[in-house]
Amino acid sequence: MAKRSIFLYLAIAVAIVWSIFPIYWFCRMAFLTPNEIRLFPQPFVPHVFELGTLYNIFGYDYEYAAGFVSGASGQSNQIIRGVFNGLFMSGIVTVITLFIVVPLAYVFARMEFRHKEKLLFAVLLAVALPPVSTLIPFYSMYVQLGLNGTRFGLIVVTLTITVPFVAWMLIGYFRNLPPIERLARIDGYSRTSCLLTLILPLAKSGIAVAAVIAFLFSWNEYTYALVLVNGTSANTLPTAISGFLGQYPEPGNLAASVIVTIIPPALFAYFLQRHVTEMSLVDPVR
Amino acid sequence: MAVGSAGQAIQASTPSRKPRREMSDTRFAFLIGLPVLVFLVLVVAYPLGYAIYMSLHQIVFFGGYRANFVGLKNFIDVWSDKSFINAIWITLRFTVTSVVLTMILGLCLASIMNQRIRMAGLVRTLLFLPWCVSSYAAGLMFGQLLRGQTGILTTISFAFGGTQGVDLMGRATVVEVLAVANAWLMSPLVAFFLLANMKTIPKRLYDLAAIDRLTRWETFRYVTLPPLQFTLFVFASITTVLSMKMFDMILIMTGGGPGTASATLTYQIYKRSFKDLNLGYGAAMSFYLLFFILGATFLIYLVWGRRVSR
Repeated sequence: MAKRSIFLYLAIAVAIVWSIFPIYWFCRMAFLTPNEIRLFPQPFVPHVFELGTLYNIFGYDYEYAAGFVSGASGQSNQIIRGVFNGLFMSGIVTVITLFIVVPLAYVFARMEFRHKEKLLFAVLLAVALPPVSTLIPFYSMYVQLGLNGTRFGLIVVTLTITVPFVAWMLIGYFRNLPPIERLARIDGYSRTSCLLTLILPLAKSGIAVAAVIAFLFSWNEYTYALVLVNGTSANTLPTAISGFLGQYPEPGNLAASVIVTIIPPALFAYFLQRHVTEMSLVDPVR
Repeated sequence: MAVGSAGQAIQASTPSRKPRREMSDTRFAFLIGLPVLVFLVLVVAYPLGYAIYMSLHQIVFFGGYRANFVGLKNFIDVWSDKSFINAIWITLRFTVTSVVLTMILGLCLASIMNQRIRMAGLVRTLLFLPWCVSSYAAGLMFGQLLRGQTGILTTISFAFGGTQGVDLMGRATVVEVLAVANAWLMSPLVAFFLLANMKTIPKRLYDLAAIDRLTRWETFRYVTLPPLQFTLFVFASITTVLSMKMFDMILIMTGGGPGTASATLTYQIYKRSFKDLNLGYGAAMSFYLLFFILGATFLIYLVWGRRVSR
């Protein structure tokens, strides 16, 4: 038994290191002084722990204990706007996606109707479309419609990614739920109340996962945002960050803003992982 | 399905007890599904149509914008293009490595999370973290981690008295490095769905396996793995699609380089369309990519999905 638990804890340790080390190695740069960043080879851990760069990216100067001052980043306006835009748009996209996808996935997973295969293929087609090939058409369409650089425009584009993708995942999930609504239908429940009062509570965990996935897709969407809203008042955090990659790279600030992008999804994930265990309550009736 | 038809049979046999008239399943499905599909068709069909239009034309920007109709020329020319053939090969290598790694890693992570351990919530959150990282940030991270100039291997090698940097982003290994980064990014998602599935395996089966004195490997192989088949199949297809579409990570991590060593199809499309401004040619390539993605998904369904989806 003791041998087994040593092996298990070793496996856990390896898995944790594998998962967080790449994040650590990059985000550590936020705490390196400019001189340390230029070292070769790079140090394993920062020698001082100061949050200077986090102040900088939000537009404040910071005086290090060593005496020098690092100035506020010129990119700070974009970063702050990116955080608010990102939270706002990802929130809206998540809500709309769930409203659309949950009934859709339920219907596709649980009901038999004509043309179902063709409609499923349409969903698959929408998932398979690579963003690279729809970029130019979207761009030209948006210029004509005047949607370029608007939040509304980006929300619509993001929905075209999240809706098919989340639908695909949820269809599989709904198929595995026990078919209790058949019994409820015999008892005289309408379809809508079946969905609202029986399926939704039962599928809570899957829907929670779907919500996180929609949020993450929207929050992290880069390709479309770069072309459609970069540099406008609707820019998101990823595009704001790409500013640090350009002519005057500032690795410290770059790392600090990457930390900022990870925090909201990580919090979200922390609340998600409880729901995942609750799936065990579902008894598989086959 | 047996339950379903029985339920319908009962409904049909007792029409008088129905409180009110209800629409058929088909109509209900269309009522819910149609608005979404109309939205998708409107928003996706226009770009798709536009891309077809572009792929049939040669679009010239210099000396005034012109679009000359060239028929299927772009689609045919692509096949005599070395960079296109090279891109197919690289995409294949990248996708296969990514998917295999992702599935194995997903299974490992899920098995670990399925154990009863202290602070399970914290462990799960930590293991989920990579999925919170966006693909462009993952590109930044792995570039930083494995490049000779800034990488961990260089630091380690110097700590042990080495004098040279270790660079994994060279021509020989760059595709595999990209695939590892991609697998790192996608495996938590797979692991979480697998974990959710593992939680539905009745504990009784494990007790029986213990009575039969199965080894740990045999228990995993014959008790845990079979119920996961369908989820594994679904996620093999999803990760295949995601890998073949992967673009921003590759752009940021390697920019298709060194040379064209990591220029996947998505990168070639980007290069043709945005750098060379050869929009028609790029659009034609992107249709091949679309066909490859659909073909790969269909292939996985044929060889695997048909067996496991009941």
